[in-house]
Amino acid sequence: MGKTDRITERQLSVLIFVSLLSPMIRILPASAVLFAGRAAWLSTALALPAGAALVGFTRWARKNAPEEMGLADMALAGLGPVAGRVFDILCALWLTFYGGFIARSAAERLLATVYPNGNTPVFIVVMLAVALFTASGLTKTLSRTAEILMPILGAVIAVVLLSALPDVSAGNLLPVTYRDLKAMAYGALPIFDVMAASGYFLFLAGRVRRPKAQKPNAFPWLILLAAVAFGVTFFTLGTLGEKLAVSMENAFFMVVRNIKVLGVVERMEAVVVTVWIVTDFIFLAAVLMIVAEIWRTVTGAKKRAVFVAPSAALSGAAAFLVAGNAFAFQRWSDFIVPAVNLLLAAVLIPAVMAVGKLRRRY
Amino acid sequence: MKKAVCVCLALAVALSLTGCSGLTIFSNYRRLENIELVRTVTVDSQGGGGVNVSVYGTAGEQSEARMYERSGPSVGVAMGKLLLMPLGREAILSHTEALLMGEELAKESIRECLDYVERFSEMRLDTGVLIVRDGTARDLLAGLSGADTPASDTIAGLGRNIARVGEGYFFTAREIASSLADNGCALVQCVRGVEEEKLFEERGELNLEPAGFAVVREGAVCAYLTDQETLGAILLLGKYKSRNVDLALPGAAVTVSVDLAQTELEPVFDREGRLTRLRVRLSLRANVINVAGMADITDEAVRRTCEEALTEQMTGAVRAAVRRGQELALDYLDLEGAIRRKAPLKTADMPDAWQDIFPLLAVDVEGKSVLARTYDIADPPELFGKEDKNPWEKLIESLKGS
Repeated sequence: MGKTDRITERQLSVLIFVSLLSPMIRILPASAVLFAGRAAWLSTALALPAGAALVGFTRWARKNAPEEMGLADMALAGLGPVAGRVFDILCALWLTFYGGFIARSAAERLLATVYPNGNTPVFIVVMLAVALFTASGLTKTLSRTAEILMPILGAVIAVVLLSALPDVSAGNLLPVTYRDLKAMAYGALPIFDVMAASGYFLFLAGRVRRPKAQKPNAFPWLILLAAVAFGVTFFTLGTLGEKLAVSMENAFFMVVRNIKVLGVVERMEAVVVTVWIVTDFIFLAAVLMIVAEIWRTVTGAKKRAVFVAPSAALSGAAAFLVAGNAFAFQRWSDFIVPAVNLLLAAVLIPAVMAVGKLRRRY
Repeated sequence: MKKAVCVCLALAVALSLTGCSGLTIFSNYRRLENIELVRTVTVDSQGGGGVNVSVYGTAGEQSEARMYERSGPSVGVAMGKLLLMPLGREAILSHTEALLMGEELAKESIRECLDYVERFSEMRLDTGVLIVRDGTARDLLAGLSGADTPASDTIAGLGRNIARVGEGYFFTAREIASSLADNGCALVQCVRGVEEEKLFEERGELNLEPAGFAVVREGAVCAYLTDQETLGAILLLGKYKSRNVDLALPGAAVTVSVDLAQTELEPVFDREGRLTRLRVRLSLRANVINVAGMADITDEAVRRTCEEALTEQMTGAVRAAVRRGQELALDYLDLEGAIRRKAPLKTADMPDAWQDIFPLLAVDVEGKSVLARTYDIADPPELFGKEDKNPWEKLIESLKGS
């Protein structure tokens, strides 16, 4: 592992935050509203402690692990060379598919929102090509890119959400009573699902410089992610209402389409969609990087860059083959991918870390 | 070397990012002078399943407004012809402010139009949706167009001011779709074209006036509300801004501007948790803007009479709107939602379904009006002749006497 390709914990947190905006906007608010109804806007309050607990657990599990040890190494150390490799390969295969899924998702969104007569293969190929180029480079380059884009994303999100306020109707958000608590908990599941996806980035943890004084850098970013989840759910649900929000593929962008800033600027959805493409690109590049990192660990190769191109090719194949049309893709997006994601990121990864910890391997 | 190659590649890409030539990567690049910005769309039924679609817009601030139309078996096909056939310019729907539907089409179904607004990426959900009564939407749009007054401006002007005169509210496609999804019914503003004397050459042959709300059930218009019912609906839906009301007093007429109207709902449940009654309280604040005849509005008794007359008128409108909804068995006022917000647990535990209770529910409407002020002239002396009743003079005289 090159000693020059090191990032700080803050940079990793920013990379995770920017990346996870992509799946967040894909599944919210529809998934949360489907479970929690009009109480969905409060589900983030329940998802946040669960997310914080997961982050806290991973911090605890990695506390005594050597600095250069990523999750792939931890699996090998904790489960042994055979079971560890099986786990690593399983994660690599899933993430290869997931990379294709991200590219396809971004392409489908572009078609639905800005380019109705566009061509998904073009968008997929371009996204994969750009991501391939980036993922072949250094981790710190990608993290820096995320850091630079972060203020732009933050500003766009803030402007969009605040501008949507006049359209929010209290009737779409209330009443919410203690009886909705169970539904709210179910609604928290998809939000927690997105937060749990941060677990994949533990494969890059071996690239993180550990500061001498350990400060919990991840929690503020988790809170920020929860704030975005809350904002997206609150404003979309408050504007469209429960049934309309669930019936739309890209409910958030339907809200964005109506936004006028101070009665002067309008039709800003193209800008917002473009900004979200940036998050897709960052996430896709990060996923390809993670996959290459896993293969490097599993094979014991010195450089990970050689694994990026084959992974990107396989992701491309997955993007084309995942579903024949947008309807079938929606099923993948609504149920299959979130379910596998939850199982892997929120159950298997913590379990593997716990096993290693219990066996005192790190 | 590697850096130099990267810089060269970046520059090569930059070359394709801008410009109007065919080399640009923007396949959807549109020249400004070739764009027709559509502001209003009309859809009319042609009978037998066909529709006539027209678009109305301008090529820019300085250019004259134009109207184009095409027919087809569906909105999508007709619109496709309009957008792609040679208008001389490329029509862009992204700035559409209003969608006007003819009465015949609205009776058949408004779903196709709403669906088009929702699905087509250029259209926005905050497009105002209107139903044209007593004629086709196309004819209204053509009649409204004048030399210097584009029809879109007239429609937009009415949209801005209709709530201020308390005669309606331009519901957007989003509000209509949301109401249809949540309540199974929705209200849509109606307008009609009226022939009036053409005072200025620059305006069109027709003038636009509001024509109450239409009630849409299962995607089609099933009833129209009267002016009084429309006013009641605006009050209950919280869309009210202001309205001038004439109050008839013995020997005089007082016009007041009602600038504040708030409704409060109180559901009454029995011991079994059944909703037995709904109380609606209306609070009104009005200002005197005109007095004709012999009425001394500085007199407490006269003001009281005015307040009572105003309360009677406005509560009557609310009663009428609720009664019509009950007759139609359609909760277009979203009373269920309001009751649920007021008493969420009791509403959730109600033994009977809302649609069974609503048509027979006892609804009491009570109101309270306050005449807050008049403007500058409290009591014009010439109105009351020599036997002046100016309270200030009375006060001064009484002070002198004491």
